[in-house]
Amino acid sequence: MTERTPSSRSHGLAGTDTRRGWQSLRLAFWVLLAVPAWFMIRSFAQGETLAMDLLHPTGETALRLMVLAMLAGPLAEIFGFRGLLRPWLAVRRNLGVAAFGYAALHLAFYVIDMGAFGPMLDELTLPAIWTGWLSFIALLAAASISSNAMVRRLGRRWKPIQRIVYAAVLLGALHWWLLDRDYVPALIHLAPLLLAWCARFAMRARRSTSPEERPA
Amino acid sequence: MIRSLRAAALVATVLAFGALPQPALADGDVVCRGGPQDKWEPLASLRKKAWQEGWEVLKVQVEGDCYEVYARTEQGQAIEAFFHPVTLEKLVVFRRGREIFRKEGFSG
Repeated sequence: MTERTPSSRSHGLAGTDTRRGWQSLRLAFWVLLAVPAWFMIRSFAQGETLAMDLLHPTGETALRLMVLAMLAGPLAEIFGFRGLLRPWLAVRRNLGVAAFGYAALHLAFYVIDMGAFGPMLDELTLPAIWTGWLSFIALLAAASISSNAMVRRLGRRWKPIQRIVYAAVLLGALHWWLLDRDYVPALIHLAPLLLAWCARFAMRARRSTSPEERPA
Repeated sequence: MIRSLRAAALVATVLAFGALPQPALADGDVVCRGGPQDKWEPLASLRKKAWQEGWEVLKVQVEGDCYEVYARTEQGQAIEAFFHPVTLEKLVVFRRGREIFRKEGFSG
């Protein structure tokens, strides 16, 4: 831990050290993101919690992480690339992949709870269920291109493909709404994102109509 | 104009996050008019009632002023059923959010 350098401003000789510092910070962040999952899995393994009772916490954590991952972009566009938004933007892919991890855990608990393939197939036609599956597939696609290597390899094509996360988060919220027979909890979770999207849309519209207000 | 828009966005974001940890008042909740809890039938009777339906009971609990049963039907369907806690009448049954049974005249 001694090689961790708090600032990345110094380049040159300190470059490797700084990089190693960022890597250990990122590793610590991964561990932090995994903590709730560890408690959930432990409580299930020890027989304290039913698989069905872990569906809600895993799904909710996945959606929260997804909202956090997707919020950094529009906020940076509105408030500028500064302050907390710098590290936040730097970890948004980690947040997104962690969201996928919790969605995968959610699916695993669903499979354990259902216990057999037949009943799962049988309820696949219910809107509350197929929205969940579609959301998961979209997340799977996004997570599979979220490594540094894939970002480099896809280059300019990465961003348009990554937009599948919009479908994932909206379908996920719809899945929750339908299961709960109530839109309020899902909408509250989605609210920061919806507001940020609206603000970004308003700013873009304003910028394109009044070029004199465009920042230099 | 942009400045006020930014301020509005900031306020909205803060408000939205403030609202996040608070429990939502679920208007999807079922209302059974169960009355005072000391008049309610024991949970064991509820389990028996669910068993008589032919269900495999996963969990029984109090939900608002109702008894709620999480169960599997004989066909393996995952269901959520609400019972009146005094009469133990089956009031409404949901399958993954879809209503599949409602007692005639029940509107809670």
